[in-house]
Amino acid sequence: MQSWVVALAFKYLFPKGRWGTFFTWVSIVGVSAGVALLTVVLSIMNGFDKNIAEKLVQVNGSVKVLSNQPIRDYKGWLKMIQETSHVDAVTPFIHGVALVQKGNHVAFPKCLGVDPASAHHVFPLDKFSTQKDCVQLKKDAWVSPQIARDLNLAVGETFDLYSPLSLESIKNDEIILPQEVCVENIFQTGWGEVDRDTVIFPLEYLQEAYGLEGCIHGFSLKVDKEHIEEVCKALNAQLPTKLRSYAWYELNEDFLYVLKMEKSMCFFVLLFVIAIAAFSMSSGLTFSVVRKQREISLLRSWGASRKAIVQLFCLQSVILSFLGVCMGLGVAGILLYYRNEIVHVLTGWFIPKNALWNFYNVEKLPMAFSGTDVGATVVLTFVITFFAGLLPAFKAAKIPVMKGLRRE
Amino acid sequence: MSELLSVQHLTKSFQTSSQQPVCILNDISFSLQAGESMAVCGESGSGKSTLLFVLGGLLPLDKGHIFFQQQPIVYNHLVASSEIGYVFQHYQLIEELNVEENIYLPSRIQQKTVDRHFFNKIVDLLKIASLLQRQTTHLSGGECQRIAIARTLLTQPKLILADEPTGSLDEATGMRVMDLFFYVCQTLGTSFILVTHNAVFAEKTNKVFYLKRGKMSDEKD
Repeated sequence: MQSWVVALAFKYLFPKGRWGTFFTWVSIVGVSAGVALLTVVLSIMNGFDKNIAEKLVQVNGSVKVLSNQPIRDYKGWLKMIQETSHVDAVTPFIHGVALVQKGNHVAFPKCLGVDPASAHHVFPLDKFSTQKDCVQLKKDAWVSPQIARDLNLAVGETFDLYSPLSLESIKNDEIILPQEVCVENIFQTGWGEVDRDTVIFPLEYLQEAYGLEGCIHGFSLKVDKEHIEEVCKALNAQLPTKLRSYAWYELNEDFLYVLKMEKSMCFFVLLFVIAIAAFSMSSGLTFSVVRKQREISLLRSWGASRKAIVQLFCLQSVILSFLGVCMGLGVAGILLYYRNEIVHVLTGWFIPKNALWNFYNVEKLPMAFSGTDVGATVVLTFVITFFAGLLPAFKAAKIPVMKGLRRE
Repeated sequence: MSELLSVQHLTKSFQTSSQQPVCILNDISFSLQAGESMAVCGESGSGKSTLLFVLGGLLPLDKGHIFFQQQPIVYNHLVASSEIGYVFQHYQLIEELNVEENIYLPSRIQQKTVDRHFFNKIVDLLKIASLLQRQTTHLSGGECQRIAIARTLLTQPKLILADEPTGSLDEATGMRVMDLFFYVCQTLGTSFILVTHNAVFAEKTNKVFYLKRGKMSDEKD
């Protein structure tokens, strides 16, 4: 590309003594709005995705070993899993449902039985606990906040537990009295599904309630995220066919797929903002070509080739998109930096301040910057705006030399 | 003196809406020596501008031959652009560029190295030194045309094709500009073909031709 092409392209956009033309700024602002919008939305969605992934790992463990029937003599398997390399911690668990009652209040929560000695190594119970002095499961139950509200329970109070075994006994005309359970703690994981209707019991307590006779339903493992796949492979190679290990993302495959789809759809829809900005740029450049027919003819009469004229107008679209991308990323950076303040102001205007945070179970708007997403945004912006610039560029190159000069 | 331009039996027609081609230039022949000047006069629509554009290779010819420095002029050929300069009635300065940048632009396009002394000489001859850093939108018509002439001269063309360069200037300004134009071309030894309605300017050239109904003659009627 010849130096005069570069110099003239810049001068057309930023004439001497002026901070750019109206067209220049409309084009830059249009592209930057699209880039900023895409970057902000994708970063916040990534933040939510990351949060969700962290919560899923926190409440389930990073790997689960499951069986389609109760696992007997599990201690041997427990030892084998513990000795597998990269497994940081493992705890056996039982899960099921039960009927709980306090006075006239009844609920059917999910029940999780975990080993008090090892559970805190896999699940961050200290983070879940709402009581500062109670950071480990001991001999009583931990209830989720919604269950506590539904049954009007407080720490130290008791409720009745009717297990499926109790219901089975009723069929046989036996009367088994409910077990009285004391609330040791109210926990909050930040994961709505768990916080809505879960009660955590010591493993042996629930084994007895379900009549499992020392059996368990599976194991939860804590594994570094870099080694999850490796651990799953190693375990599946050693475990019998009735036992199988699953990574957290395999267990939540559908949910994660929906999240991914949501993000892809957002990306696709917001890309239209950039496309509209590119078309606006293209029409601005076309107008410029029509206005500058004489100049284009003059340049051609001095020996400028058609290729140089194409370059002159394409370069303008590249410069505009480059500045738009830079400005868009800058604006996105500022918006993301002050995202919580902005959302607090907006929610203060439109909805009760804490409703949003309570609904999403977050104290701050999460954000995760993804180089891949930003790279894709930047590359697609350049591609779209470049093609939008080609149309006026070819139109300019096709102007016959005489057409512009004869107009005089 | 060597022959700079030779035109032999040049014919050019335009297709009109009535499908009948109109012959604008009909069997025109003339030659121009290096350093020589020539004026082409004629009524509006007689084909004077068309002649200049054909000579510069900006329009294709129908019949005949044009030789510039013994080489045939080919339509749209860039060699012609670098050796032949144009001065138009409307100066067509690029408003986004200042005066100096406007003057340099054709030389940059033609990738010609410009000698700063030569630039200063032209600037001095055309008396535009004080205008160099100004924006073209703030200049008078006479100043703009002097800049357009400087722009053309800086590419050091062998031949300048000037199409009514004073057409949009008042008489006094036009006279001053043309006096400068003649003087500079004479000083630099540049040949030119001047299309003009002004008999005074025409008389100052070495040759005067008149175009009428597509024919060229050296007599007014």
